[in-house]
Amino acid sequence: MSDAAQARQPSAKPASSKPASSNRSAALRRPSVPLAVVGAAVLLAFPFYLDSFWLQTGLFAISAAIGAIGLNLLTGATGQLSMGHAFFLAVGAYGYVFLAADSDTKLTGLGLPTPVAFAGAVVMAGIAGGLFSPIAGRLRGTYLGIASLALIFIGQHVLFNAESVTGGFNGRNVPPLELPGIVFDDSPELVVFNVPLGALERLWFLGLVLLALAAWLARGVLRGRPGRALNTIRDHEVAASVMGVPVARYRAGVFVLSSMYAGTAGALLALIFRRTVPEYFGMFLSLDYLAMIVIGGLGTAAGAVIGAIFVSLLPQLLTRYSDGLPLVAAPGSGGVSPAEASRILYGAAVVAVVLFLPGGLLGLWTRLRMVVTARRAPRTLPRLEKEEQPA
Amino acid sequence: MSELIVDGLTVRFAGLTALDAVDFAVPEGSVHAVIGPNGAGKSTCFNVLSGVYRATEGSVRFAGAELTALSPHKIAALGVARTFQNIALSSRQSVENNLMLGRHRLTRAGFASAGLRLPRARREDARHRGRVREIARFVGVSEYLDAPVGMLPYGVQKRVELARALAMEPSLLLLDEPVAGMNGDERRRMAEVIVAARADLGLSILLVEHDMGMVMKLADRVTVLDFGRRIADGTPDEVQRDPAVIRAYLGAAHTVDAGELAVTGETAADAARQKAEERA
Repeated sequence: MSDAAQARQPSAKPASSKPASSNRSAALRRPSVPLAVVGAAVLLAFPFYLDSFWLQTGLFAISAAIGAIGLNLLTGATGQLSMGHAFFLAVGAYGYVFLAADSDTKLTGLGLPTPVAFAGAVVMAGIAGGLFSPIAGRLRGTYLGIASLALIFIGQHVLFNAESVTGGFNGRNVPPLELPGIVFDDSPELVVFNVPLGALERLWFLGLVLLALAAWLARGVLRGRPGRALNTIRDHEVAASVMGVPVARYRAGVFVLSSMYAGTAGALLALIFRRTVPEYFGMFLSLDYLAMIVIGGLGTAAGAVIGAIFVSLLPQLLTRYSDGLPLVAAPGSGGVSPAEASRILYGAAVVAVVLFLPGGLLGLWTRLRMVVTARRAPRTLPRLEKEEQPA
Repeated sequence: MSELIVDGLTVRFAGLTALDAVDFAVPEGSVHAVIGPNGAGKSTCFNVLSGVYRATEGSVRFAGAELTALSPHKIAALGVARTFQNIALSSRQSVENNLMLGRHRLTRAGFASAGLRLPRARREDARHRGRVREIARFVGVSEYLDAPVGMLPYGVQKRVELARALAMEPSLLLLDEPVAGMNGDERRRMAEVIVAARADLGLSILLVEHDMGMVMKLADRVTVLDFGRRIADGTPDEVQRDPAVIRAYLGAAHTVDAGELAVTGETAADAARQKAEERA
């Protein structure tokens, strides 16, 4: 949440204090509850109407949103730059494959039950983050960004060369997730309301649940005691430490947490792709994630989600409609490919946001909402608690 | 027991001696001021006491612990709170959230319990928010609780910072120039809050301040630093009459009426330059 919005929505207010202010926040909150219900209904209805192209695009966005929430905890809320996010996505993706797949002649795998493998992949990413946390706890801001760049190169090297685990250049097939009662694959067939629900449709629901959980957890962290400590480390490190915040421990902790978010996103991504390929987890992916949180809005879960949707949908939209767009050529035909065009576009978007929209797209939304509220109820800004001031 | 004892404190930065064997003591419940011209080492002293800088030599004891060996958050855990000369608040956060940071050492919720909103974490949050509102009222900033700090006037921000320090429920409060840059009205309010905090909360206060009127009014004892050395220590009255102090502030050529450190000719800057030349 933006700070202004956070200030208006205090979590636990005793009834005695500030009637005027809670009226105001109630007025702001009222439309958001039905809005959320409608939004959830629309999202749940998507698999029944969208074709597989859009579903896959949407699933990428969901996975990216989970990863971006993690990066926003680290970079947005704590001010710790990380270029290594793609590495932890790779740990999650390959971790799931390694834990879930059975061994064969060329590739090794543990063949664990897939839900255990999924949880294990998240834990593995967390452990990988924990191994890096002595560095992550000590380095500040951009210095961590430079140090974490090393993770990308190490990761790429391992992915290409540890062939018995990763499958090398060609990658590895991903076993579908099997929860009790439901397999996230095209067979066995599942038909609801006369619509066949294949792997993508089923994963869509899983993705939504995971995203909702990820955002809910992140919001709780950010609005609670750890979030205040992290924000103060970002705003004024010395002040945080003299107020009793163990700075290195919190930096290390949030790095592990953000790695676990990346691991979740990576494992989900593997399930969507159904094949893991090493070159996907390169530096460009890390840059994409940074672009997401800057465009969406730094420091909040909502900002990360908005940015992830924007950055994930843009290349797909350009690919789909490249015929009709000037200057964008079909992939492989020479000219500016849709992927390149979208990078240029969201590069421009990053610049535009930094210059004109501090707070990102979420900040724009918050500002619009404040304007609307102010117009609707112009007399709701009284001086509060006059009677409680000391004489 | 919780007396602050600074003993032979020395801090050197690559050849520059910022503090040179400084001694003083702050008995429990008293207000002690550290004064001195610019660059005398007052802020360095504060930074050592709060663990931000490492001491080269000497010791600082408080509440049975050796502060020079501790990191800042461990010193905070002993009940040592401080404010900063330049405001160090999170300007985009609300006043309430800034004050809640002061409760950090008194609360326990971690990533898991805050993320999962466990009942324990929620109860803790509500309880401490209640106390933070009381403190805001005490300091006179409760009408701004919901406002982002960055939007408030300078004088209010200074008081918010004091409130954040008080929110730590400290037994020792370090105030680094609490009224610097304030107008007369703001100064008066700040002084009232400090007096009330001492009287009602029974804490010891160590004060760095340039405003002599304020120091003379609030402090029980005064330590005067100049070029990192302690040049005087005593009650405000004694210190004001001390020739070494008058020299440090006004230069050697001047005599001053007792009780009033008025600039009669040369400026303090000239005095400082003169001293520097003497040393060279």
